[in-house]
Amino acid sequence: MHETKTALTRRGALALAGAALGSGAITGFPTIWAQNIKDVTLRQIGTGVSGLNPIAEQVKKDLGFTLQLTVTDTDAVAQRAATQARSFDIADIEYFSIKKVYPTGAVQPIDTTRIKLIDKLVPIFTTGKLTPDSQMGQGTSPFSVGFVDSRDAKSFAGKRTELMTLLPTIYNADTLGIRPDLVGRPISHWKDLMDPAFKGRASILNIPGIGIMDAAMVAESAGVVKYGDKGNMTREEIDKTIAFLIEAKRAGQFRAFWKTFDESVNLMASGEVVIQSMWSPAVAAVRSRGIPCTYQPLAEGYRAWGSGLGVMRHVSGLQLDAAYEYLNWYLSGWAGAFLNRQGYYSAVLETAKQNMSENEWGYWMEGKPATAPILSPDGREMEKAGAVRDGGAFAERMGRVVCWNSVMDQDRYMVQKWNEFIAA
Amino acid sequence: MRPDVELIGVTKRYGATVAVDGLSLLIPGGSYCCLLGPSGCGKTSTLRMIAGHESISAGDILLAGRNVTDLKPAERGTAMMFQSYALFPHLSALENIAFGPRMRGVGKAERLARAREFLRLVQLETMADRLPAQLSGGQQQRVALARALITRPKVLLLDEPLSALDPFLRGQMREELKRLQRELGITFIHVTHGQEEAMALSDLAVVMDHGRIAQAAPPREIFERPASAFVARFIGGHNVLELPQGRFAIRTDRTRLAPAAAGPDLAGPDRAGLNLAGQVTAVEYQGSAVRVVLRAADGQTAEALLPDASFHAAPVAPGEAATLGWSAQDAHALPPA
Amino acid sequence: MSRWMPWLQAAPLALVLAVFLVVPMAMLVVVSFYDYDSFSLIPDFVLTNYREVFSSWVTWQTYLKTLWFAGLTWAITLLLGFWLAYFLAFVVRDPTWRMLLFVLTTVPFWTSNLIRMIAWIPFLGRNGILNNTLIGLGAIDRPLEFLLFSDFAVILAFVHLYTLFMVVPVFNTMMRIDHRLLEAARDAGAGFWQTLWCVILPLCKPGIGIGSIFVVVLVMGDFATVRLMSGGQSASVGLMISNQIGLMQYPAAAANAVVLLAMVLLLVAAMLRAIDIRKEL
Repeated sequence: MHETKTALTRRGALALAGAALGSGAITGFPTIWAQNIKDVTLRQIGTGVSGLNPIAEQVKKDLGFTLQLTVTDTDAVAQRAATQARSFDIADIEYFSIKKVYPTGAVQPIDTTRIKLIDKLVPIFTTGKLTPDSQMGQGTSPFSVGFVDSRDAKSFAGKRTELMTLLPTIYNADTLGIRPDLVGRPISHWKDLMDPAFKGRASILNIPGIGIMDAAMVAESAGVVKYGDKGNMTREEIDKTIAFLIEAKRAGQFRAFWKTFDESVNLMASGEVVIQSMWSPAVAAVRSRGIPCTYQPLAEGYRAWGSGLGVMRHVSGLQLDAAYEYLNWYLSGWAGAFLNRQGYYSAVLETAKQNMSENEWGYWMEGKPATAPILSPDGREMEKAGAVRDGGAFAERMGRVVCWNSVMDQDRYMVQKWNEFIAA
Repeated sequence: MRPDVELIGVTKRYGATVAVDGLSLLIPGGSYCCLLGPSGCGKTSTLRMIAGHESISAGDILLAGRNVTDLKPAERGTAMMFQSYALFPHLSALENIAFGPRMRGVGKAERLARAREFLRLVQLETMADRLPAQLSGGQQQRVALARALITRPKVLLLDEPLSALDPFLRGQMREELKRLQRELGITFIHVTHGQEEAMALSDLAVVMDHGRIAQAAPPREIFERPASAFVARFIGGHNVLELPQGRFAIRTDRTRLAPAAAGPDLAGPDRAGLNLAGQVTAVEYQGSAVRVVLRAADGQTAEALLPDASFHAAPVAPGEAATLGWSAQDAHALPPA
Repeated sequence: MSRWMPWLQAAPLALVLAVFLVVPMAMLVVVSFYDYDSFSLIPDFVLTNYREVFSSWVTWQTYLKTLWFAGLTWAITLLLGFWLAYFLAFVVRDPTWRMLLFVLTTVPFWTSNLIRMIAWIPFLGRNGILNNTLIGLGAIDRPLEFLLFSDFAVILAFVHLYTLFMVVPVFNTMMRIDHRLLEAARDAGAGFWQTLWCVILPLCKPGIGIGSIFVVVLVMGDFATVRLMSGGQSASVGLMISNQIGLMQYPAAAANAVVLLAMVLLLVAAMLRAIDIRKEL
């Protein structure tokens, strides 16, 4: 055991030497230990949601080392994590993706004893429930894939252990976005997406893993399908859901399907679509163009998602130390406040609060009317004084999560059926 | 009514330039007419106007008494053989010939049978299935000829038909054209810039210059009595000389030569205006004849085409002094410049 | 030594072709027989991927739809491209004007494909320029929905993107047609349409062939246009492959790519049989 560990460390040191010195004089001796942490570079891959340059700049300022960001889409992050793990050090990855990526061995577990604020994490990540009496959502909840029993485990613990797969960083509750000026009536249920009144003016996102969840919320709300677990459907449930979607598509319910953030913003802003699946910052983007758009809370509750930072298996030595520094920094407040101000939620609330004004905290987290204009991170006015956040307080939104983005056992079958829907 | 071709005041303008300037001409039916002149003289424009491929700016064209000025090419009773033939490269020789009947809606079997007939007329039966690219220049020309003739035109228009052939083939084709014209008895109008071709073929030669007719007459008349210095020079075989009595054209083969030393035979005082003294500048042996060029003191040049025997009886060499002379009846008076 | 010279001279190109064409192709074929699960390729020799391609009505439908897109786009670009080329080659007499107009037809190509496509969206949208104009003129009283996010929009974008690929080779062959041939046809009694059908069209065949290959191959392999202009509501083989790659179903994508490749090769072979394009080369 000790032997193996040494070998691993040695190899890690070599890799690190390669990373730090570039090509050239690698002698095999651990001269690298003498190097300052400032020479470390951590290469991070992630989505545009949190792969933001201000974060890298702040890391440089606070910690001294370089965070190099590569931004791509959700599928590609998972793909590269699974197939080219050595091409980066940190994966900013979604929980439903880690369900597929972790078993490949690309990611090493995080030793929670080295995370100072581990006990301050929002309980969703440590117990699966926001409050002891709230429901655990269906689907791939962060808790269900958040812990492993040992360094080499291929399956998830399903309970809290000292080893985490991902350090949670950012999460949110998703619902439908609407154009309040164009829908012409109050929207209160997921099934309203299929209201014939919105024929040719509805949209759903065409990322099978997430789209199917929204579709399931709609189908359940409409009373068409009853699910055992929306996050892990049976073939029969998938068939019924897809049939329901195809029927709606043939009836001309959908104007388009979107795949990227920008597409969803453009569809909504141009009025092509008045009701659709949407992401919180996309709603903000529509609103920032002066076009009314509401992230509508619905009676059935929210579909949620979360992502976290995973450390790739090959990271070790000084670079691993730097990675832990980075993980701790992420929870320490600045990043949390930065993300909260964009409408996401941070994993440790206390420290984020210390980095936000009372007005900001009240508006974003407590559902209170803004006492002064709310500014976006780049300083533009997003909301005027008096505005209230759609869906209200943190507890109200995250407390009403009914399912999480997920990977199903019947994943391959689901994708095949989803393609049928798109081709229909 | 004889199928005469009549041009009345035919004019062609391209913008400000006048290509054909009020041309009037009567070409009798069944004759071989050559339009002749240097490039840019309007001969091709005239032909194309007769064919209907060029609109007419002013004037009329009558064909067998019928005004065809505004008719389409195919309605005129003319057929054209294009310069470099314009055969359809994607069609076989037979299909090329059958093209006209095909356009007129003749059934496939019938038109191919007819095309075969015309292929025989031009002696190319064995080449029926060849594409134009697989035929020699002469063969292509025969196909083009057959293609034009199959529409049974009253007038066949030929645009420099022989210019793309080598000299040997040219002579052969010339004979063939004349034979066909005689046998078919239809009018041929043939554009050429070669006076030899025109001489050999035409019943009526039309020499054109700057869009006008310089002279229209049978070739013999043109050769013997050129209407102007231009015609005399263009047709060749003439010395055009400014003499004390005026301007004259004198055939080179009627011009004789006397070496300076040979006494007063040509140079006698009674022969004023019938001789030209100077220095020999060139002597050219041509087989049956010898061409001697002479430059007079006033800068005029003249030449004599002498039978080889008479030249060799009293030869001259370049640089020697000599005198050219001719008899009075051979001096053809020209209008003054 | 000299015996090896030709081989040596051919070697660089052969190497480039081998590395960038033959090897990837071979990989593609090999991978198409692999098995896979959510995150890894399993080297194997299974026919599942092909069975899935051929046994699912979705793939059949998608292939048919792609062929339909290709066929319709081809027909329209041919019609449009032919007349555009005809206009440039035979109607415009002045060479300067002809060159100017020809360059004008290439102007859209100075921007990227994506931008040219996206530009249609605000134009054709429900509240787009066209609908607003038509409503403003009183021609219609409610927006025309079929203009955007529909097969119409897809075809429109394809035609916009690819007509030039038809115009250029057809124009090129037309410019080589001796104008005397047209006169010869007229002289033989051919009218406008007869000349077109019996002379111009047959002589343009090589250009039409090359243009057709361009257009058909481009449309068959497209995925961006179909997705953007149909609003994700239509499928094409390219889009299906791109989705499969996105979901890391590489062997399935490879199998589809092999089938698509075979299909395109067959189409091109059929076109080459019908038209001898060597005349053009």
